[in-house]
Amino acid sequence: MSELRQSVVVQRMVKRYGRVAAVDDVTLEIERGEFVTLLGPSGSGKTTILMAIAGFVQPTSGDILLDGRAITRLPPERRNFGMVFQGYALFPHMTVFENVAFALRARGRPGEEVQRKVVEALDLVQLSPYAQRLPRQLSGGQQQRVALARALVFTPHLLLLDEPLSALDKKLRADLQLELKALHERVGLTFLYVTHDQDEALSMSDRVAILREGKLVQFGRPRELYERPATRFVADFLGKSNFIAGTAQGGDGGTLAYSAGGLTLRQAVAGAPPAPGAPILVALRPEKIAVVADTPPDTANAVAGRIAQWSYSGTHFQLLVDTPAVGRMIATVPAWRCRIEPATGATVHLGWDPDATVIVAEDASADSPH
Amino acid sequence: MADESRIAAARSTRSLGWAIVLFLVLPITIVVPVSLTDQRFLSLPQDGLSLRHYVNLVQSAAWLSSVGQSFVIASGATVISVLSGTLCAVGCWRLGSRWSELVRVLMLVPIIVPTIVYALGLYRLWVQLGLLDTYFGVMLAHGVTGIPYVVIIVSTSLANFDPRLEQAARNLGASVPYTLRRVILPSILPGVVSGSIFAFIHSWDELVLVLFIASRAIFTLPRRIWDGINEHLDPTMAAVATALVAVTAILLVLDMRTRRQRSE
Repeated sequence: MSELRQSVVVQRMVKRYGRVAAVDDVTLEIERGEFVTLLGPSGSGKTTILMAIAGFVQPTSGDILLDGRAITRLPPERRNFGMVFQGYALFPHMTVFENVAFALRARGRPGEEVQRKVVEALDLVQLSPYAQRLPRQLSGGQQQRVALARALVFTPHLLLLDEPLSALDKKLRADLQLELKALHERVGLTFLYVTHDQDEALSMSDRVAILREGKLVQFGRPRELYERPATRFVADFLGKSNFIAGTAQGGDGGTLAYSAGGLTLRQAVAGAPPAPGAPILVALRPEKIAVVADTPPDTANAVAGRIAQWSYSGTHFQLLVDTPAVGRMIATVPAWRCRIEPATGATVHLGWDPDATVIVAEDASADSPH
Repeated sequence: MADESRIAAARSTRSLGWAIVLFLVLPITIVVPVSLTDQRFLSLPQDGLSLRHYVNLVQSAAWLSSVGQSFVIASGATVISVLSGTLCAVGCWRLGSRWSELVRVLMLVPIIVPTIVYALGLYRLWVQLGLLDTYFGVMLAHGVTGIPYVVIIVSTSLANFDPRLEQAARNLGASVPYTLRRVILPSILPGVVSGSIFAFIHSWDELVLVLFIASRAIFTLPRRIWDGINEHLDPTMAAVATALVAVTAILLVLDMRTRRQRSE
């Protein structure tokens, strides 16, 4: 039945440095073969969790389980996890071949097997012609692939990746994202990826865990996180978002009416709507706003405002619109056959449907006074 | 005006610098002409240059045995210093706590405490251990007092060593000793070589400890020079001194080359 078990479980992990909790009661269940990303700003505890799974950080409390077996006290060299380090940590005095062979030699494998497996691993990342080079003679992207080959050659239980693309330029990063995703499908291994880059997280992962100040905020599929963020932090960190604070009025037939800035706006709700009079916070993605120039749009929600600033990015325009009712809003509209001519000071109408927005919770903050 | 005064200031700074260099180097270079004297006592050459004292040096059994003894002792002491100093530096680096800082300071004691005090203490201890006037006794004394040089230099190397390399090795299944041998040591090797050169030089020209703990059997090169100066002013000493300077200079050049390799 081992196929049905969770592959890696982080169970109620806490890590304190003095009085500061770097990781505060985090539980994560990662299934066999999944590509899971830990996403968060610096100081969110994502790297500490990764290092605890690798065995370099001893949790203050809680456990790390591999197929149901606690490995919390196992030293790193006996865990059999592959890891790609930030900056790659290739051994500078060894050739590419020797770097990749290291894990096999440390395990005392016979020379013939070492030779065969290293060649296989270098083929996998298309680096066979570079076997006799030193790491410093390779480009950043090639070094990254050596690090991958080194981490995969000994058929590890899972692969840990600590911001492996952060040192590369944007174009190369996009290529390697695709390569990593393809590699994941080819080797079928569990990947645990740490990054602060939301694009990387969204485009590669099966599931994303969002961390903030050592706590797990939300864990789910990328689309689910983007479309239905649980808190203000998630909506803000994963892409851009407008926030409208309002007061619930009353619900009927799956929509909730709420008042904000003297307007009555509508919000689609699935379960029971918030009680009338309760404060609510609504997140609205910039690309879900329809922008029209002259007459108010025929959407359920419409707000008028003036363009304070605009910019062009090839695929779309980004508009900053000052509205008297709900403050400054960001809206993006596709640049191709755009229905308005952006100009600073021009009056525009913003419209959106009740299901374009989502109710989010305010984040509890450890260091804010209230 | 401002420019002129600045130029004058620069000139006087430069003159001062050269004066200090001369002050440091001249006493060393004076032994070279003295070693080439044609006289039978310590003096500058008078009627011409002569290599007779060098000939005397390579023909004298006493001097040659001292060179041999110094070399054996310095080699043994270097092994002791490098082994214990490197292990200590690596250990402190890995622990990285306040205690390791304390240990590192403690390791510097041999160069902080006046050598004469150290020698007195060693003498008392060596009497009890029966190590007086033995090769091993002198090697041990020189080895221990050479540790600080190794600890300082290897610690500097380790400060530049990326700790992620060690983590990578462990992650790839290497035990701690295997990681030390295959990853950490090769990376800090230039520092270890540099440290061993300093440890060797330290033992090669050490006199005070030897005066205390050696008597008849052990006559290292510095001790024979010391005795020579006290008893008779044989210019062979100048020849020996020149040879010592040459050996030290060669070792320092080697050290500079390993450092340059490391920085590349």
